[in-house]
Amino acid sequence: MNLSELKKGQKAKITSINSKGPIKRRLMDMGVLPGETVEVEKIAPLGDPIDIVVKGYHLSLRKSEAEQINVEVIE
Amino acid sequence: MKEIKVAVAGNPNSGKSTLINAIAGTNLQVGNWPGVTVEKKTATIKFDDLTINLVDLPGTYSLSPYTQEEIIARDFLVKEKPDLIIDVVDSTNLERNLYLTIQLLELDIPVVIALNIYDEAKKKGYEIDIEKLEQLLGVKAIPTVATKKEGIKELLQVLKDFASGINPIVPKKFNYGDVEESLKIVETALKINDPGLLNRYPSRWLVLKLLENDELVLKETGLKGDEKFLKQAVSHFLKSHDEDMESIIADIRYGIAHGVTRDVLKKREKKHIDFTEKIDRIVLNRYLGIPIFLIAMWFVFKLAFDFSAPFSDWLDSVISGPVTKWTTVLLNAAKSPEWFVSLVTEGIIAGVGAVLVFIPVIAVMMFIITLLEGSGYMARVAFIMDRLMHSIGLHGKSFIPLILGFGCNVPSIYATRVLETERDRKLTAMLVPLMSCGARLPVYAIFIGAFFAKNAPTVLWSLYVLGIFMAILLGLVLKKTLFKGFAPVFIMELPPYRVPLFRDLMIHTWQKLRHFVIKAGTYIFAVSVIMWFMLNTPYGVEKENSALGRVGKTISPVFEPLGFGTWEASSSLVAGLIAKEVVVSTMAQIYGTDNGQKDNSEGKEGTKGFLEDLKNVAISFFNAVVDAFQNLLAGFGIKSLQVEEEEEMTTLKSKLQEIFTPLNAYAFLVFVLLYWPCVVVGIAMRQEFGSWKLYGQTILIHSIIAWLVAFLIYQGGRFLGF
Repeated sequence: MNLSELKKGQKAKITSINSKGPIKRRLMDMGVLPGETVEVEKIAPLGDPIDIVVKGYHLSLRKSEAEQINVEVIE
Repeated sequence: MKEIKVAVAGNPNSGKSTLINAIAGTNLQVGNWPGVTVEKKTATIKFDDLTINLVDLPGTYSLSPYTQEEIIARDFLVKEKPDLIIDVVDSTNLERNLYLTIQLLELDIPVVIALNIYDEAKKKGYEIDIEKLEQLLGVKAIPTVATKKEGIKELLQVLKDFASGINPIVPKKFNYGDVEESLKIVETALKINDPGLLNRYPSRWLVLKLLENDELVLKETGLKGDEKFLKQAVSHFLKSHDEDMESIIADIRYGIAHGVTRDVLKKREKKHIDFTEKIDRIVLNRYLGIPIFLIAMWFVFKLAFDFSAPFSDWLDSVISGPVTKWTTVLLNAAKSPEWFVSLVTEGIIAGVGAVLVFIPVIAVMMFIITLLEGSGYMARVAFIMDRLMHSIGLHGKSFIPLILGFGCNVPSIYATRVLETERDRKLTAMLVPLMSCGARLPVYAIFIGAFFAKNAPTVLWSLYVLGIFMAILLGLVLKKTLFKGFAPVFIMELPPYRVPLFRDLMIHTWQKLRHFVIKAGTYIFAVSVIMWFMLNTPYGVEKENSALGRVGKTISPVFEPLGFGTWEASSSLVAGLIAKEVVVSTMAQIYGTDNGQKDNSEGKEGTKGFLEDLKNVAISFFNAVVDAFQNLLAGFGIKSLQVEEEEEMTTLKSKLQEIFTPLNAYAFLVFVLLYWPCVVVGIAMRQEFGSWKLYGQTILIHSIIAWLVAFLIYQGGRFLGF
């Protein structure tokens, strides 16, 4: 399961990141790391991007990027 | 007398600019980092007998070399070797902010942490053990509330103690666990192969970067990245982990940041929904989000244009009225030749006026943009609009410069700075001129009045829609051609809403304005004077034989297939390069329809005394202020987008009706909408992007589009029998 498939309000743990190069580095710099807990907070009115909470702050990213992040639902 | 060089680093949204403003106040100098459009702020301040040279680094989340900001910050720290770094940390978001701190510590430069936004953290029930934080990281830490100027003195005192040697700060060297062994291998190899490198760079940082295979560092050090010792250093890792070195090291850094945060931060569990959450529930709501956004944009637009327009009009009327009049009186009294009076009033004073009329709109627009960014709403605009903007290769934030373009393209070019990457800035700037700006309205007004009076609103809207349509089309094409390859990512923090300080907004607006007047002002002035020479040399000849007329005559065949291949139309279009509304005034001059009226009004005004004029200037300024607020409060329509009919133009209208047909008039309007963005836009582009290249490309692309579309309309229309 990947991050883009999570529903609003669902919490999950990141298992791995498939992105490569700069995008992966950027995600990691922003605290999106394997083992981290994320929660989908909101989805933009037009359906994309999404707003997640990671490390206690809000981060928005497009679904195309979220698809590259594998997660495991915990709640 | 001591002097220290201090760099200020920190995450975006950590309140870094507010802190800098609080420390430096009016000493702040704003420029650009060389070769890029990233703002560089510096200041020299005195604290007792200590001179502090502050350099504000761009806000970054990390020092990895992927954004322009990160590269600048990193290069400065590594190459300029400041004596100390002030690391501005958002106390409400300790862990992610400390991730950057950990990287700063790798550089072996003493760090002083400003635990900023401390009041909010306390309100949230956070308790930070400052002593422990200092001890764990090997830093000094001072709680600050930049918005209230709290902690600034203490911060400066720490700098002073550090400079005088009372208070040494020794950055902690962290154990990077499994990676340590690899670091040692690389360091030993470097000591043997190239010991000079280890002296040139902070050694631990260099070794880490080499392990990470950092492209820029490899390039600078002349290493290839596949050296035997590097391969050896990472080999056992790649066997046991399936991650790359970069990720492993990032993970370790975050691990340290996490550990430190856990040790120093106590959160008294307060289950409450905060302010930001409450607002976002409404503002980003699935159904309410877009309507609220549209209302906000309408308000932004109204503020940007209807509020500033009365002031621009006032400046314009003062300059073309009393200032011109009294200069003429003075020059005539000094027995100056006629051509000289004309040069001074129509060239020089008009040139100064051309710069001044931009001031209100740029000031208001910069104020709004700073407000949007500082409050946190800009990130929400991006969040809401990204889906649409992304489809034409843009970023969600591009929406703001584009919508402001309908008022005036010039500040829109400056507004592209809200975007994060150079690519997004350039692509957006290229599309901005397709937004039909206010200066094009007078041209539409006169032609629509002359030819399409019955269908005026439809024709007017068709032009706006055509501009937007062409922008979408051009965006799609450019995305696949000129701006191919580098797909921009959208990984953006949605920062908490905060009320920006009025003081900060004013400082920022003032800096932008000053920059515009000094840098762009000279060019605009020069172009105005050149235009006067074009129109008036040789002095006194018929317009047809002036330099402008001859240029018009030479290029007129180009416009033949579009239906307006006359020297009059061509010359007006050339003059319109300075500002599109000039097309109308030039036509009026060329067709000789404005002379009579001008003499008349001069005769009337001539009777007024100097003091009376002065009084009128003051009164009209007062009226402008009243108008500005009235425009803001009254009515739903955007006043600056309404067509105002000017009476004196009736003669020009009837003249145009003799020369143009509705078909080629419409083709002409389409051409005016799309062709060659005005010189002031070019000057803004040069200022923002450092060269004339982007303007050159824009001129070329837009002129070709304009020609093709006007051609299709004219020839298509003829084919259909219009």
